[in-house]
Amino acid sequence: MDGLVTTAIIGLSLGVEYALLSLGFTLIFGILGVINFAHGGFYMIGGYAAYAAVHFAGMPFPAAVATAMLVTALLGYVCELLLIDRYVSDHLTPMMITLGLYLIISTALIVVFGPEPADFSFPIRGSLRSGGIYITYANLIVLLVCATVIAAVYLLMYRTDFGLALRAMADNREVATALGMRPAQYFPLAFGLATGLAGLTGALVTPTLTLSPFLGDSILGMSFLIVILGGLGSLGGAVIASFIVGIVEAYSRVYLGGSKGALALFVVVLIILVVRPNGLMGRIGRPA
Amino acid sequence: MLRIDNLCVRYGGIVAVRDVSLEVHASETVLLVGANGAGKSSLINAVIGMVPAAAGTIAFEGRSLDNVACAMRARAGIGYSPEGRRVFPSLSVRENVLAGAIGAGIADKRERYDWLCGAFPLLAERARQPAGQLSGGQQQIVALARAMSAFPKLLLLDEPFLGLAPVWIDRISDAVRQMQGRGTTILMTEQMARPALRLADRAYVMRGGEIRRSGSADEIRAAALADEYL
Repeated sequence: MDGLVTTAIIGLSLGVEYALLSLGFTLIFGILGVINFAHGGFYMIGGYAAYAAVHFAGMPFPAAVATAMLVTALLGYVCELLLIDRYVSDHLTPMMITLGLYLIISTALIVVFGPEPADFSFPIRGSLRSGGIYITYANLIVLLVCATVIAAVYLLMYRTDFGLALRAMADNREVATALGMRPAQYFPLAFGLATGLAGLTGALVTPTLTLSPFLGDSILGMSFLIVILGGLGSLGGAVIASFIVGIVEAYSRVYLGGSKGALALFVVVLIILVVRPNGLMGRIGRPA
Repeated sequence: MLRIDNLCVRYGGIVAVRDVSLEVHASETVLLVGANGAGKSSLINAVIGMVPAAAGTIAFEGRSLDNVACAMRARAGIGYSPEGRRVFPSLSVRENVLAGAIGAGIADKRERYDWLCGAFPLLAERARQPAGQLSGGQQQIVALARAMSAFPKLLLLDEPFLGLAPVWIDRISDAVRQMQGRGTTILMTEQMARPALRLADRAYVMRGGEIRRSGSADEIRAAALADEYL
């Protein structure tokens, strides 16, 4: 019984990490209509920025995480402004740009930090135990921070003019513009927010797992899986899908083991998509 | 308030609006009436900036709108309710209405929303419902309220009766009268001349992208040319 509960806790913490990661990905697709292939790249930049801030600048870990988030948000803002903005109405060009961006990011990280995993670990060790149930302090802190940031993103999207404008533009950009909303002002901010979330996740999570310049593909793959399962462009769907994936992944890894565990996850996702082809909270098609 | 001189709108080689000049004065309601393809919506879209003017000038409150982006025209005080409603389907009714007032202060937004809910009780009844789930007539009310929530100086209404049952045409007409009661200047297009002329002070008849006749609503109603549309 204790094992079941501990696995559920692991699943929840995986779910909340995936939710934070995939929110940025689905945000960019939902609002800009852009599939951001560089999402995994920004996750890695977040990890390496935090690593550099701790090891080279001597920053305390929380300040390093905040710095990593700001750096990735700023980079995302600039990339959208300089590279993506003028092609945002075209579906293919931004995809190719973000794919190129990802290749540049991963190559640059290899050149700067080398191909080996970096020695970056969470500054707090130990675990909270109650009987046979336990959670590491690192996972607990990551879970709490991720949950807080997800709540903040929810409030930003559903309780502010900024969020209302982004959601209106996601529904109908042309009409939103005719009502006074300026995509040129909002899109770089949305992109920066999304990459900032990816960077924050990278900075928080890589010290508990591993930090290497080859993580981007798997991160992008997981983001894709979650966003498609949740329904393309749906923030709520992405969060629900993240928890489903986290729980299934935790249980299948513990009780089925390595490759069977991964297979179980894809089988569950496949079944859900057969029943709901547009994802859990997806719409049919995406408005222009 | 709005002055259009020799406006031309083209889509590639097709001329949608040809050398049109008209004027809308403060607090009056002006109707552009004509059949499908007459150029009414193209003219409205040129005023809000969704399509560029190929030639001619559009001036709002004495200032040229040349090189003024669509969003900035809205911020200058031009409200817009598009043809076919085009509400934000995933946003709630309340959010749709407030989307028109983005940038206003919290107190201003509350005051406007309360006024709109008083004028159109449907907004309060369906406040939390996604606008995409409403009927066509209900969506039209939401689109009008959304355009009104900025309390614009000039309101552009593009075919507000399109595809609606008579009972909803009456309700939309009442909604337009509420806006007129606030002193809002309105430029409206409509194919259904009979109910639209009841709301208008003046009207222009358009055909083939050109203005064929203009006059008071009574004159247009009486004119043989307008009879084609009644």
